[in-house]
Amino acid sequence: MRRLLLILSIIALAPISLRAQDDIPKDWAQRGIKISEVSVYGQRPMKDIGTQQTKFDTLALKENIALSMADVLTFNSAIFVKNYGRATLSTVSFRGTSPSHTQVTWNGMKINNPMLGMTDFSMIPSFFIDDASLLHGTSSVNETGGGLGGAVKLSTLPAQAQGFGLQYIQGIGSFKTFDEFLRLTYGNNHWQASTRVVYSSSPNDYKFRNHDKKINIYDEDMNIVDQYYPIERNRSGSYKDLHILQEVYYNTGRGDRFGLNAWYINSNRELAMLTVDHGDDTDFDNRQREHTFRGLLSWDHLRESWKLSAKAGYIYTWMAYDYKRDVGNGIMAHMTRSRSRINTLYGQVDGEYYVGRKWLFTANLSLHQHIVVSEDKNIIRQDGGKAIVGYRKGRPELSGSVSAKWKPTERIGVSMVLREEMFGREWTPIIPALFVDAELSRKGNIVAKASISRNYRFPSLNDLYFLPGGNPDLKSESGWTYDAGLSFAVGKEGVYSLTGSASWFESFIKDWIIWLPTPKGFFSPENIKDVHAYGVELKGDLNVAMGKEWKLGLNGTFSWTPSINVGEPRTPADQSVGKQLPYVPLLSSTVTGRLTWRSWAFLYKWCYYSERYTMSSNDYTLTGKLPPYFMSNISLEKSFSFNWADLSIKGAINNLFNEEYLSVLSRPMPGINFEIFISISPKW
Amino acid sequence: MTTRYVRMMVFALTLLCASCMKWEYGLEEDFDMSASGEGLFICNEGNFQYGNATLSYYDPETKTVQNEVFYRSNAMKLGDVAQSMVIRNGIGWVVVNNSHVVFAIDINTFKEVGRITNLTSPRYIHFISDEKAYITQIWDNRIFVVNPKRYEITGYIEIPGMTMESGSTEQMVQYGKYLYVNCWSYQNRIIKIDTETDSVVDELVVGIQPTSLVMDCNNKLWTVTDGGYEGSPYGHEAPSLYRIDAETFTIEKQFKFDFGDWPSEVQLNGTKDKLYWLNDDVWEMDVTADRVPVRPFLPYNGTIYYGLTVCPRTGDVYIADAIDYVQQGMVYRYSKDKELIDSFYVGIIPGAFCWK
Repeated sequence: MRRLLLILSIIALAPISLRAQDDIPKDWAQRGIKISEVSVYGQRPMKDIGTQQTKFDTLALKENIALSMADVLTFNSAIFVKNYGRATLSTVSFRGTSPSHTQVTWNGMKINNPMLGMTDFSMIPSFFIDDASLLHGTSSVNETGGGLGGAVKLSTLPAQAQGFGLQYIQGIGSFKTFDEFLRLTYGNNHWQASTRVVYSSSPNDYKFRNHDKKINIYDEDMNIVDQYYPIERNRSGSYKDLHILQEVYYNTGRGDRFGLNAWYINSNRELAMLTVDHGDDTDFDNRQREHTFRGLLSWDHLRESWKLSAKAGYIYTWMAYDYKRDVGNGIMAHMTRSRSRINTLYGQVDGEYYVGRKWLFTANLSLHQHIVVSEDKNIIRQDGGKAIVGYRKGRPELSGSVSAKWKPTERIGVSMVLREEMFGREWTPIIPALFVDAELSRKGNIVAKASISRNYRFPSLNDLYFLPGGNPDLKSESGWTYDAGLSFAVGKEGVYSLTGSASWFESFIKDWIIWLPTPKGFFSPENIKDVHAYGVELKGDLNVAMGKEWKLGLNGTFSWTPSINVGEPRTPADQSVGKQLPYVPLLSSTVTGRLTWRSWAFLYKWCYYSERYTMSSNDYTLTGKLPPYFMSNISLEKSFSFNWADLSIKGAINNLFNEEYLSVLSRPMPGINFEIFISISPKW
Repeated sequence: MTTRYVRMMVFALTLLCASCMKWEYGLEEDFDMSASGEGLFICNEGNFQYGNATLSYYDPETKTVQNEVFYRSNAMKLGDVAQSMVIRNGIGWVVVNNSHVVFAIDINTFKEVGRITNLTSPRYIHFISDEKAYITQIWDNRIFVVNPKRYEITGYIEIPGMTMESGSTEQMVQYGKYLYVNCWSYQNRIIKIDTETDSVVDELVVGIQPTSLVMDCNNKLWTVTDGGYEGSPYGHEAPSLYRIDAETFTIEKQFKFDFGDWPSEVQLNGTKDKLYWLNDDVWEMDVTADRVPVRPFLPYNGTIYYGLTVCPRTGDVYIADAIDYVQQGMVYRYSKDKELIDSFYVGIIPGAFCWK
């Protein structure tokens, strides 16, 4: 019995203890690809009963320091990343839903912007994330509410260092891009400390052929004598992003761990001009700046049959948007000057209790208290005084859940989760979620999974209060979703492993919130759409040892996601009913291939998005669609190990075939580009 | 064994790379609309920041519509937020707000003949002469003076009482040498400009946010305010329709709407003796009337109309429905006897019309 409890406890504390092998992969080329004993797949953790998850390994997260989480998700998952340009807003949506239907947590703390409801994944360097997983659809209810599409769970972990460690990586790339990464670690049996710094900068002035406009050549009488599509540079797209992450963990060795995480972001990004902009970039300055601090204190208390953890956190975000133009003599006058400040206090307690080998009970309660000040515009009042258009609001967001997980036999698991949320003074009805899984065959580790849940998402603070346009009468979006699937895992220790899964999902979302223009010249949100999203997600992973020194890893995803407007027509002329939602690709796919030989490693990444409509009516007009695109990136890495240090040098080529492509209308994307990374880790 | 795996890998990679995105350049299409006497241009704003504004052309005689005519004729996009259009001497001037440009096009072939660039945030263009025009702006406290022949910015008219950030000048109407301009966003004024000196010489305070401006057959200016919005630090009031004497530049009559109404798009018929506007329904009123009619010209039809125009020759009323603002909008054409004559799909958010 003791042994069983120990195993269960280890599973429950997996985030604490199972990461020794996943330290920074500074030498993954040397280590090659780990081919695990396949039988471990059969031990399904009780916490994961019936869940549809995609986990990212360290190889994907730490592939190179220039990558944001948006890049990692683009090439390693089937969810849709809407990318407004290089180092520009990147949003993530699951299963045909919108970015605000994706909930994002960092070490348990929700980091969706409470004003906008969504998260900019281009602001999350993948080197700051040690453990990432996607919780598809229903599975997000285990973590948080509001994830009508799903949730992205991001975590950091103790470095598992012994003594002092240092790693420095310098990246130099096209468009005068410089990426620097430094990590200092210290650890012993009780203490683990880590400091990570990333600084990325670039004028980001990549060249592209502008299909959207022509340059005129005039004669003396101002008649057009010729026109041509210009080769332009990405105008006003520079960025400077600094991230600092400090972590300290203390492990008593008797089942208690204390942690401190502090993440500071200082970002200064220009907003690149559209392809259809005929302004002179030297006359305009369109810039977004952000300072964000996220701090977290945590305590995990582990006993043989139960676990308790508590967290307290604080988030401060200051965002500035300035749009200026030169009014002569180099004086840049503000056309728009927006400021917002968000203070968020956070607290959470979690408990887990095992009863025998068949039952696990969990409970969770979290509180986020947001205090927001939004200043959007400076105006002169009718009496001549000055005023600011904006709002100040506070909102507590309480979320609590209880769950019971039951394994009547080794092969069958059932999990029931009940969640309830309160935003401001509004309560959701009970959010129920039911998960079941069953091992159909030990041979091949074939597991069937199914889950069903109801979910709600409250409007964001901008949805409710933004001036002008906020709509305090908005209803919560709500949805039913279910999914079912099969997974398998086969292999032979040290020879090969093959895993795969296929799942079907279906969601019905009511009262979808969309911002629409008004005759008064501003936008305002309304609950207008009912959406039926459904489809298939496939995943596969193959690792093969081809002889003594060759190892091959292949990972692929595919998704088919019809996301159909099933609401009532807004007017008799409405052609959007029964049509795919704009900007949601019907098909998407990714493939990643890793080939290692001795201390060499070759990586090939590929992704595909099918054609996306830009209109709700799916009109096939000249501006009504974005062409499908394939994207291929490669990298080659060589590692060296000396007595005094480990070194590696890596060359990466992005957009290998120099595709001209768009993720969003009028937002140019870079063609082929290169970056070299040099990494050094001294041995003390 | 190893070689076979490498071969397989190479084969797989080749398959992956086999297909690449196909992004075709547009093809220039030839149009000749010189045969059609009357014609209606529709400026479809498109979605802000997405650069999908388009221009449509409708022939009322044959009841045929051609969409995306600028793109199809020029093999390039019109831009981001097509705000307005005017025609002068066979040239159409299309103001594209967030592209910082005004395109000049041949109104029969839709081919570009030139462009004025680097404007701040242009809204409307008005011609003073063949060699001088004014372009109003939002987020700029200046009206740009341009030479349309040379496509050049030649000067600016600074508007008093505005900063860049709160700057907003809109539609222009000329009476003699004076030009009247309504100032809309967080403004409450009609300003008067001397077109000989390019300077503001007077202003008239009306209600909050006058949205449009026209001048009737009796030289009376008409503007309608939207009244602001709830929570606005500039104020929120019941909107009004104003009749202003252009000669004396004084308010003659104020027609008050209910608090919360959203009137907009004041238009005139061809003889300039009937006034039309939107306020959920479509309204019509004689310019000499003393009160707003009790019943609308066309009742509310379950959608918020976004644009309105009246055919100067036939008096037919055209109403634009943006539907959900992310699909092709619909234009309804009614006779002056309120009969539906035609309806046709145009581009995203049809907001402004221009008669050939």
